[in-house]
Amino acid sequence: MPLFDQFRKPRKTEGVSSHSALTDRNSALVERFDALVDALPVGVIVVGEDGRVTVFNPAAAEIFGVPRARALGRSLIESVRSFELDRRLWNALRGGVEQTAELTYNAGTERKLELTTRPLRGTEPPREAVAVVHDITRVRELEAIRRDFVSNVSHELRTPLTSVKIIVETLQGGVDATTQAGFLNDIARETDRMIALVEDLLGLAKLESSTLAVPFSPVDLCEVCREVVATQALRAKQLHIDLQVRTPDEPIVMLGDRAKLVQVVVNLLDNALRLTPPNGHVKVAVRSDDGHAVLSVADDGPGIPSSALPHIFERFYVVDRSRARSSTGTGLGLAIVKHIVESHGGTVVAESQLGVGTTLRCRFKI
Amino acid sequence: MGRENFHRILDETQQDTLRLGSLVEDATAKAVDALTRSDVKLADEILEGDDIVDDLCVRIETNCLNLLALQQPMASDLRTIAAMLDIIIDLERIGDHACDIAQITKNLSTEPQLKPFIDIPLMATTAREMLRESLDAFAQHSADIAHKVPEKDDEVDRLYRAVFKELIEFMAKDPRAISRGSNLILVALYLERIADHATNICERVVYMVEGVPKHLKRSVVEINQAIAHSEALGSRTIGDTAAS
Repeated sequence: MPLFDQFRKPRKTEGVSSHSALTDRNSALVERFDALVDALPVGVIVVGEDGRVTVFNPAAAEIFGVPRARALGRSLIESVRSFELDRRLWNALRGGVEQTAELTYNAGTERKLELTTRPLRGTEPPREAVAVVHDITRVRELEAIRRDFVSNVSHELRTPLTSVKIIVETLQGGVDATTQAGFLNDIARETDRMIALVEDLLGLAKLESSTLAVPFSPVDLCEVCREVVATQALRAKQLHIDLQVRTPDEPIVMLGDRAKLVQVVVNLLDNALRLTPPNGHVKVAVRSDDGHAVLSVADDGPGIPSSALPHIFERFYVVDRSRARSSTGTGLGLAIVKHIVESHGGTVVAESQLGVGTTLRCRFKI
Repeated sequence: MGRENFHRILDETQQDTLRLGSLVEDATAKAVDALTRSDVKLADEILEGDDIVDDLCVRIETNCLNLLALQQPMASDLRTIAAMLDIIIDLERIGDHACDIAQITKNLSTEPQLKPFIDIPLMATTAREMLRESLDAFAQHSADIAHKVPEKDDEVDRLYRAVFKELIEFMAKDPRAISRGSNLILVALYLERIADHATNICERVVYMVEGVPKHLKRSVVEINQAIAHSEALGSRTIGDTAAS
């Protein structure tokens, strides 16, 4: 005979001389059982034979967004609005076999759940059924990211390779010297694109696989910005873009990896220069603000739609594919920036207004 | 049928109503998901699932009529049964609209997408929220929740107008877009109707709890004034087609 009933109350132990001792033992077991179920990182729901909820652990409350008090003692469908979960628990109550299914549950935010339902004590009355619920939302998201990543890398590598193959085939067919020179330039450009992509991929993988190997040392962020802007001045001039750098006279020193911080400014500036039309303006600025160094790169390019802003730090995210095709970015620049900034304990945010421009702002502790 | 039995069946029937609500809410979500991903298989699943909705409606209706005929319920019990008889009609219609959207998904599956889906998923999200909260109001017998839900209907109406205006412009520019455009206008209309049904459910919940029938939906004049006011404030650009 079980030690406690379906409501987890100690059963009466008739005919036993040490009745109170056993009841104490049962209470201790119930308490321990409750503590155990409460500590589980997966949702556990138990319903009695009348379909009312007798166990609803904190993980279940979190997954379904329902306070425990509202679920306990009531029919499950009154608090957790999932026809599928309710149906499967009833099947289990009627003696059905263990079943596992994946379902989508939405109570404000959408969650992917893996659900296992089964009778708790076979078909013996009093019947009970249990549902164990795993929140697999993040797993599914990561799977989608991995799929997109593989597909994007394949696409980004295949495009220049296809161009090179076609050019080589044409060259093999025989062309005049002028056309040949043009084709060779095309091959060089496409090869550079592939090299840039592979380098960015390797760089990102290296950043992600370990913490920064170089120990942090004092770095003057103003000096870093002036140095990078100087290297890009000629390119900006060729693109007819007004490139300015504004830094205070006093150095703003933070602890960091200088080479990585240079890469942050290079990537931000490269992005701004690529997306700003001729006669546009790009401003790089550093200032100190309440114990922080704030680095900003602002352009007056076409801007980014608000729906795209949360995604621009994702790998290969492209705001406007038609525009990006002509602007030869690898699609990894901002992902690298985010990674480096965060590995320095900083934050990076983007602000943008369509038709007005975009500002990317990094904030580091000094 | 004893009084205890009466309350048991009444409870079960209320739970069935919530099951029905959960089914049609899920069908609505899947229908819009199928539309945006052009997923014909999912659309077929929704169409097949409508039989369960219909069966559940019949079961609830039969139980309600039996309770009325055999128990002569009074006061709040009577109002609860009367409310359920109305609510299941709204829920069944919502299920039908989900099927209509699924059918449109199938019709459009062979044609290229007319434009990125932005406002239609937003409409669906708000309409679903309204439906979910109206069912919360019913489950918790809460007139407070029921009074708040219809406020969101203005947003759905505003989005409907935006989608309508935008699609008419598409069709005026390109006659080849007429078939796809008119189908998408129907989708927006179905979602707008789903939000209206959620408002109806809230009206029934208020009646069930307070015993006084109330119209919670605002008049067309009031809605127009609210939309004009929000547009004047520039809170959002109507017909926003910005997409990544």
